[in-house]
Amino acid sequence: MIEHDVVIIGAGLAGMRCALEASKELDVAVLTKVYPSRSHSGAAQGGIAASLGNSEPDSWEEHMYDTVKGGDFLNDQDAVEEYVKAAPRIIYELEHMGCVFSRTADGKIAQRSFGGHSKPRACFSADRTGHAILHALHEQLMKNEKSVKIYNEWYMHSLIVDGDRCNGVVVSNIQTGEVEVIRAKAVVFCTGGYGRVFKITSNAFASTADGVIAAFEVGIPLEDPEFVQFHPSGLFRQGILFSEAARGEGAYLLNDKGERFMENYAPSRMELAPRDIVSRAEQSEIDAGRGVNGEDCINLDLRHLGEARIMERLPQIRQLAIDFLGIDCITDPIPIQPTAHYSMGGIPVDKFCHVILDAEGTKMNGFFAAGECACVSVHGGNRLGTNSLLDAVVFGERAGKSVLEYARGKDFGNVNEGQEKAKVLEKFEDVFQRDGSESYKDIRDDMKEIMMSHCGVFRDAEKLKVCMDTLKELQVRFKKGKVTDKGKIFNTEIYEIMELGNMLRMAEVIAEAALYRQESRGGHSRTDFPKRDDKKFLHHSMVYDSPDGFVIKTKPVVITKYPVTERTY
Amino acid sequence: MKFALFTGCVAKGATRELMLSTTKAAEGLGFEFVEMKSASCCGAGVVSEKSPLLADALNARSFSIAEKQGLDIVTICSTCQGTLKKTEAHLNESKEYKEKVNDILEDGGHQYNGTTRIKHFANILATEEGMARLKSRIKRPLTGLKVAAFYGCYVLRPSENSDFENPDNPTGMEDIFAALGATPVYYPSRIKCCGFPIVMMNKDASLGMSGNALVDAIDNGADVVATGCPLCHLSLDSYQPEIESLQKKNQSIPILHLPQLVALALGYTPTQLGMDSHIVSTLKINQILSNSASSSH
Amino acid sequence: MATFRIKRFNPEKQPEPYFEEFELDIPDGATLLDCMNEIKWTLDGSLSYRMSCRSAICGSCAVKANGHALLACQRQGEHLLDNDDTITLEPLGNMKPVKDLVVDFTPFWDKINKVKPYLEPKDEAPAKERHQSQEEFLIIDDASTCIMCGACYSDCNTLEVDDNFLGPAALAKAQRFVGDSRDSKTLQRVQDLSEPGGIWDCTHCAECVERCPKPAKPFDRIKEIMTVALDNGVHNNNGARHALSFTNSVKRSGNLNENRIPVESMGIFNISGLLSLIPIGLRMLLKGKVPPVIHHSIDEVDDVKRIFKELDQ
Ligand SMILES: Cc1cc2nc3c(=O)[nH]c(=O)nc-3n(C[C@H](O)[C@H](O)[C@H](O)COP(=O)(O)OP(=O)(O)OC[C@H]3O[C@@H](n4cnc5c(N)ncnc54)[C@H](O)[C@@H]3O)c2cc1C
Ligand code: SF4
Ligand code: SF4
Ligand code: SF4
Ligand code: SF4
Ligand code: FES
Repeated sequence: MIEHDVVIIGAGLAGMRCALEASKELDVAVLTKVYPSRSHSGAAQGGIAASLGNSEPDSWEEHMYDTVKGGDFLNDQDAVEEYVKAAPRIIYELEHMGCVFSRTADGKIAQRSFGGHSKPRACFSADRTGHAILHALHEQLMKNEKSVKIYNEWYMHSLIVDGDRCNGVVVSNIQTGEVEVIRAKAVVFCTGGYGRVFKITSNAFASTADGVIAAFEVGIPLEDPEFVQFHPSGLFRQGILFSEAARGEGAYLLNDKGERFMENYAPSRMELAPRDIVSRAEQSEIDAGRGVNGEDCINLDLRHLGEARIMERLPQIRQLAIDFLGIDCITDPIPIQPTAHYSMGGIPVDKFCHVILDAEGTKMNGFFAAGECACVSVHGGNRLGTNSLLDAVVFGERAGKSVLEYARGKDFGNVNEGQEKAKVLEKFEDVFQRDGSESYKDIRDDMKEIMMSHCGVFRDAEKLKVCMDTLKELQVRFKKGKVTDKGKIFNTEIYEIMELGNMLRMAEVIAEAALYRQESRGGHSRTDFPKRDDKKFLHHSMVYDSPDGFVIKTKPVVITKYPVTERTY
Repeated sequence: MKFALFTGCVAKGATRELMLSTTKAAEGLGFEFVEMKSASCCGAGVVSEKSPLLADALNARSFSIAEKQGLDIVTICSTCQGTLKKTEAHLNESKEYKEKVNDILEDGGHQYNGTTRIKHFANILATEEGMARLKSRIKRPLTGLKVAAFYGCYVLRPSENSDFENPDNPTGMEDIFAALGATPVYYPSRIKCCGFPIVMMNKDASLGMSGNALVDAIDNGADVVATGCPLCHLSLDSYQPEIESLQKKNQSIPILHLPQLVALALGYTPTQLGMDSHIVSTLKINQILSNSASSSH
Repeated sequence: MATFRIKRFNPEKQPEPYFEEFELDIPDGATLLDCMNEIKWTLDGSLSYRMSCRSAICGSCAVKANGHALLACQRQGEHLLDNDDTITLEPLGNMKPVKDLVVDFTPFWDKINKVKPYLEPKDEAPAKERHQSQEEFLIIDDASTCIMCGACYSDCNTLEVDDNFLGPAALAKAQRFVGDSRDSKTLQRVQDLSEPGGIWDCTHCAECVERCPKPAKPFDRIKEIMTVALDNGVHNNNGARHALSFTNSVKRSGNLNENRIPVESMGIFNISGLLSLIPIGLRMLLKGKVPPVIHHSIDEVDDVKRIFKELDQ
C-alpha cells in the first residue's frame, strides 16, 4: 500500500496549485491520468480575470457584480466575494513564480476586455493563457520535486471512505496496468470538467467525469449539474474552440440562406452579443432547418474582410481551420456550431473546498475538491469567460491550505487494502469478460448524440424524458460491448470503457437535474419554461444517488451584497 | 544564363576541386558565372551565434553586390544557400529590420532592395529549363552509376526557406542524376545531417552521423554519394577513414561534389575535375563508367 | 480508400515490432487523429496511442507519420497520403516504445528537469507584479509556447547518436529562462548549458525547427542561448572558441581561414584535442587539400571591417 499525507487527483491548474501549497509541510502526491502539462487547463486561450486595474480603474466589487450577474444570481455571494478579492494576489503570485504574461507599455501585466466583464480585466499570455499558467505551475512542481511525488499516467478509480471520513483512493498505473491502493490523510479531487458527455464539445478526451462520479458513488451529491455552458463557436463536428477574435474582427454569422440572423436575436450587438445568447440563436436557426446545407452548423464568414486583413490580423486562426477542418477562411466560410464548454456544477464544497454532503454543510472529512470538478458555487448558472482559470487557481490554493490545516497531526484512517483493491480488480475483470459484439464507439456516440440533441442548448420535459430512457438503454448496452484488448500494458481501450461508464452515469445525473429545474437560467434553457423563476428555483439542486434512483434536494443560494435582479445586457 | 557566383570560403580553400569543377560544369552548360570576389563569408550560421545582426548585415551586403550587377546569386554550398536564405527571410520579415540593416550598409555604398534571387546550383539545374539544357549537353551519360544524394540540411530546412518542392522528400538531386544517365539511389539518410558542425565539439557524435548516412547509402546499393555541400563533403570524405561504423564493415565509398558529377557527364575528365584530390579514391567511378561503356558497345 | 501502415508493438505478446495495414475511407475534414480513432474504435481496439486535447495544445499525440514527427491532431489525414494513398505511422524516435505508438517519455522529462526549468528570481517578490517590458516579453514568448510534445526530440540528429545531448525541447525550455529579464541565474545557466551535451552539441540540422508545431522552434532558441553565452564571456569550450575564431577570421579577411579555425577551436592548451586533428590534417595535406598557406582576403575587405566596427564586434 502506498502512503502519502495528501493525495491530489488531477494536475491541471487546480491540482498543481493545491500541491504547491500542501507540500509546504506535508508529503504530497499528485496523480494524473495524463502528464501534468497535458491537462486540459492548457487549452484555455482567452485569459484569467482579476481586477488589477492595469489598463482601466477596476475594483473587486465590479468583478463581483459582473460575476453574479453573469451567473444569473445563482452564485453563492460569500464565496464570490472572497474569490474576486483573492484574484489580484493570486495573479501576482503566478507572476512571481515566473508565469509569462503579455505586458502593457509600462511593463505591467496587460489586461483586455472579455464578454460579460464590464472592465478589461482578463490577464493573458498572448493566446495561450491556460498553457502559460499550467507550465509555470508545472515548473514549480519540478523545482519542488523532492516534496511532491507525481504519478504520471495513473488513473484514479474510486474513493475509499469509512463512514464520514475519506481515507484514500484506489488507482492503477496505465503503463503497467497494476492496481494500487493509496492511503492518505486527505484526498483532493481536481479532476476537471465533463464536457465529453456531449457530442460537440471543446473539452479534451480526458474530461470525462471520473472524479465527479467517483464521489457520487460513495454517496456524495452533485450540485447544479444541469448547468452546462455552450460556447457559440465550436468548429463543426470537432467542437474545438474557434476564437472569438474572428467575430471581434467583424466576421458574420450566416444561416443557410446567407442571412445575418443575429438581426433577429440581438439587433444592437449582432455577432458580438454574449455567448449564451449567440449559442441559443445559432441553435434556433439550426432547429428551424436553417443550418447550412441542412446540417447542424451555421457559417462564420470572414471572406468580406479580405485576404490582406485576415493574413494580418488572424493568421493563426486561419491556420487552425485549415489544420483541423481543411477549410481556408479566405475563400470559404467556416462552419461552426455551439459546443459544450464548461461545467458549472460538480462536487459540492464549502468556501474552504471541503466537500459537503448536504444543505447544512455536513463535511465528508478528509475529502476536498477544487477547480472545474467542484461547485463552490462562484459561477452560479453561467460562468463568465476568464473566471474559471481564476477559480481553479484560487480554490486550488485554498484547497491546499485547508488540507494542510486538516491533515496536520492527523493519523491515517483504516483501510482494508485487499478488499479495496479487489473491488477495482473486479471492475477490470467485469470488463474483460464482456463478450458482446457492439462497439463501444456506437454506445458512446449514441450517448453523446442524445445528450446534445435532447439535453443540450435547449431542453424540454418531453425531450429530457426521451433522453433518460435512451440513457437507460445505453446502460444495458454498455454491459455487453465488444472488448478487444485484454492486455495490461498501456491498454487505452479499457480506460476508455471505464470513462464511458462514468460519463453515462453523469449524463443521467445531468438529465435528471435538467428535468427537475423548470425554469430557464444561465446555461440551462427550457423551452417549456422560458423564464427564470426565482420563486421556485432560486436554489442549488443537489442530486443524490439512492437504491430507488436519484433523489433531488435543494440548497439555498447565499445572497449577501447584490440582490437578485433581471439579467439584461 | 548569367549568375553571380557566391563561391563560399571552402570552395576556395579545402575543397578547391569544387571551385574547379563548378567552373567546368558552368562552361559545359553554357552558364556564365561571375565570381563575387568582394562578397564576404556567409557566416555559416556561426557568425550569427556571435551576433545575428552582424551576420545579416554581412549577407545583405553580398546581396547588394549582386543587385548592382543585376544578377541572381548562385551558390555551390548548401550551408551558404541556407544561411543566405535565412538572412533574406529576416530582412523580409520586418521593414524596420531591413531599414536598420540598410543603415549599416549605407556607408559602404550598399543597399539591399530584395531584387536578387538566391539559388543553389542544384536548384538551377532542377528547373525545366536547366534540365533541358543539361540533357542537350551530355556527352558521356553516367550509365550504370548508382548515385546517392546527400542534400545537406541547410538547403532543406527550415522548409520555408528551401527551393526544393518537398523538403521532407525532395527529388531535385535525384532528378538531376537521372538526367545525367545515372541511377539515383533513394535512402532515408539522404536528408539527414552529416554532423560537420560539431566535429570540433563532439567528434564521436559527428562521425556517428556521417557513418550512419554512409552505411545507409552503401546498404541501399550506392556506388558513390554526391553532395551539394562542401562541408558535407569534408565530413563524408575527409573524415571517412576515421568513421568507425565503416571501418568495422571494411567499406568505403567515394564522395563527389554535385558539379563534379555533372561535369563528368558533360565530358570532362576526372583529373580536370580534381577528383584525384579526394581522400577516398574515386577510381571506382571510372571503372564502373568504363565497364558500362564497353558493355554497351 | 487509404491504407494506414501502422507499426505495432506489444511486448506482452511479441518482442519485436511489426507493421500492420488498415484500410479506411478518410472522412471529410478528418484529422490524422480522427483517422486513428476511427481505426481504434471500428477496426482494432487494441491500438494504443496518446491523445487528449485534439487541438494541438496538450502535446500528447505526437507520432511519426511518413517518417517525420508531427501532432496527429493538427494535420488533415488527406494531406498526409503519399503517392500510394498510404500513411505510415510509427512511434516517435529517440525514445523507447512502450506499446504501439506510445513511447517512454522519461528521458525527455529528465532532461527538461536538468536545465532547472523554473524562474530563479533576482529579488524578493514585490507587492505587485515584477515589471517586464514588451520587448523583454518577446524574448521569451516563442520558447514559452512549447507544449512538450517531443516531436523535436524524436527527429533530432544529434540525439540519434548521442543520448547525452540535452536535446531541442530542454534547450528551448532553457532559453525561456536564460532570456527572462526576471531571472538571476543567466550566467550560471549559460555556463551549465555550454558543458558537453549542451548547446554546442547541436548539429544545426534544424529538424527541430521543421517538426515543432509551435513557434518554440528549438534551434532558433539554441542560437539565442549561444549568443548570450558568448556575450557573457563563457568562452572556455570548443563551441565558443569555434564561433569566436570563425567570426574573427571573417573580420580579418572577409572569409574563413580554415587553417586556424580547427586549432583555435580546440584551444591551444588542449593537447589531446589538437593531437586528434593530426590524422585529418595529414590526410588532407597529402592530397593537397589544405587551404592556401597565405590566406587571401576578399576584395573590399575594408567595408567588411567597417561593418564589424559599426556593430562593435
Ligand atoms: C477550449 C477551452 C478554453 C477555455 N478557455 C478559458 C479561458 O480563456 N479562461 C478561463 O478562465 N477558462 C477557460 N476555460 C475553462 C478552464 O480551462 C477550465 O475550467 C480549467 O482549466 C479547469 O482546470 P482544472 O484544474 O479544474 O482541471 P483540468 O485542467 O481539466 O485538469 C484535470 C486533471 O484531472 C486529471 N484527471 C481527471 N480524471 C482523472 C482520473 N480518473 N485519474 C487521474 N487523473 C484524472 C487529469 O489528468 C488532469 O490532470 C476553457 C476551457 C476550454 C475547454
Ligand atoms: S557556409 Fe562555409 S563555405 Fe559557405 S561562405 Fe560560409 S563558411 Fe564559407
Ligand atoms: S549536412 Fe552537415 S555540413 Fe551539410 S549542410 Fe547539413 S550540417 Fe551542413
Ligand atoms: S538543430 Fe540541433 S537540436 Fe535541433 S534537431 Fe538538429 S541537432 Fe537537434
Ligand atoms: S519545442 Fe516544439 S516540438 Fe519540441 S517539444 Fe516543444 S513544442 Fe514540441
Ligand atoms: S491531442 Fe493534444 S496535441 Fe494533439
